[in-house]
Amino acid sequence: MAGRSQQALLAEGLARQGHVAPAVDACYRVLANDDSDPLVHALLADLFLSGDFYDEAIRAASRAIELDPGCAPAYLALGLAYDRRGGMWDQSILVWHELAEVAPQLVTAHVQLGEAFAAAAFEEEAIEAWRVALELDPHEARAMYDLAVAALKKEGMATALPGFRKAGELDPSQDDFFFGLAGVYDDGTPAPDPIDVAPDRASRLAAAFALAFEEDFFSAVDLIRLILDDDPDDAEALALAGYLYLKQEAVNEAMAVALRALAVSTKTPTAVYVLGAAFAKRPGLNRNSARVFDALAKAVPNHPMPHVLLAESLLSLQRFGTAKAAYLRAVELDPTCVRARFGLAAVLLTEGEHARAHWEIRRAAYHDTRRQGLFWRLYDTYAEGRE
Amino acid sequence: MADNAPARLYQAFVSQDPAGAITVIERAKAGGVPQAQLFDQLFAPAMSLLGGAWASGAIDEYTFTQAAVVAEQITSFVIPPATAGDTGVTVLVGTMHHDLHETEKDITAAALKEAGHRVIDLGVDVRPAEFLERAEETGARILIVFAEMMATARSVSRVREMFTAGGRDDVVMFVAGGPFSADPQLARSVGANGICRGAESALKLVGKVAGRVGGGS
Repeated sequence: MAGRSQQALLAEGLARQGHVAPAVDACYRVLANDDSDPLVHALLADLFLSGDFYDEAIRAASRAIELDPGCAPAYLALGLAYDRRGGMWDQSILVWHELAEVAPQLVTAHVQLGEAFAAAAFEEEAIEAWRVALELDPHEARAMYDLAVAALKKEGMATALPGFRKAGELDPSQDDFFFGLAGVYDDGTPAPDPIDVAPDRASRLAAAFALAFEEDFFSAVDLIRLILDDDPDDAEALALAGYLYLKQEAVNEAMAVALRALAVSTKTPTAVYVLGAAFAKRPGLNRNSARVFDALAKAVPNHPMPHVLLAESLLSLQRFGTAKAAYLRAVELDPTCVRARFGLAAVLLTEGEHARAHWEIRRAAYHDTRRQGLFWRLYDTYAEGRE
Repeated sequence: MADNAPARLYQAFVSQDPAGAITVIERAKAGGVPQAQLFDQLFAPAMSLLGGAWASGAIDEYTFTQAAVVAEQITSFVIPPATAGDTGVTVLVGTMHHDLHETEKDITAAALKEAGHRVIDLGVDVRPAEFLERAEETGARILIVFAEMMATARSVSRVREMFTAGGRDDVVMFVAGGPFSADPQLARSVGANGICRGAESALKLVGKVAGRVGGGS
């Protein structure tokens, strides 16, 4: 196959930069000359999808698949378009099934297939598809959220909630939130070697956070120990120690140091987070975790995660209406928050709002694939494969 | 707290003495600390002392870990149970005859069970006579009938008629499902006492009437 034209590369470049309208225009210019390139049709479908033009997306993606039944990015766009358009579950199931065959190792295809089955009330088939997804990738958070929703439908919230929390732990957003509270962001700089860290509190704490971020827990703990040897009442160091214990499933140790940190200073949001997360791991302490996360949501009102954590604690108390308000706040703050959308779907199911619940799951699916950059991964793989 | 119970509990933790820890808890209860307050008033302050001791180096990592194990062992004495105690209230739930929708029923039933109610789930496609028979058997005086289709929602009136014919007007019948949520008049017309608009609504309605009607057996 000949290489892509300059116009096609221009369309692709515009699309990657998020310039939807000019990219659509560029796609049409390419197609005016030659409408036989499935990649351009697939790109056009994805662009239509991002603008919520579902019928147009379906047409463009279908054309791409007609031209090449192995065009994986077109299946993704087509499936998402069917899902979000609604009312076409049979088509949706077929498309995700096709994608799972075209790209059998693509975890998302199985997750989506499960969601399409669930929307069509084929619950057993849905669970089987999510199990396949988790076999391919045991860390697939969305499949875990889906299984939690399935558990809710069958056995209620008490059974489902551990699944939501487990999925939340697989979802990196909760850890990112903790580091965000501490002002630590991934700037690409590797964590320092502990022996190179300057012997002062600020350097040690910064290095400990960086090491924790890279999941080198033992080196981080060694630095925290040095800080605490100088000042045992360093609340931020204690909070990080609590986080490190939490990551190693040592809940009581985490609780102990977080409580100590808060006894030293109640204004340590990282310690508040650790304490709430430790409480949330004890089913009998739901009231305590709700209280702690409520305080955190008030301290950090403009971040979705404390609202999500609060909502999950409220779910465990069967305060579904209040949980819904917290989830809605989280979605308002971050419409791409997959965890909030699944939680909101769960609350809607408790209210008998099935259609709205599945709508939230479809939105979560869309944002999850965007977050992963899945379309572009499939697009690039497909483009490379034919060059 | 009158004496320094958190310090004694902390001491029991670091001495790896679960029996001593339980003694401290029992004494605190005998001294008037309610069960629901044991965690906040006793356990949490003791854990804070433990965290402080580890931070200051007063105890080493091994002792800290062992103390945490003792804390784990006595957790059930201080943490409220995850599920509510038995309320003694029996609630019959079921989806109307010719209706196979079960999700809302299942979620609601699970929520009621978690709240401590005795839930008897009759499943889906339940005939009106079966609701009455099971109410007679169990002595239940609260009933939730689910229906998700207009035809089955209308036919819930047959359940009320069945109970009236059986001399069981004392039974409180709630209805649930899309048709009732959309049209409260429909609920009145089938003889319902109220509409459950989801699990939380069911919890509130059952909680409200439980004291009045009692729960049956």
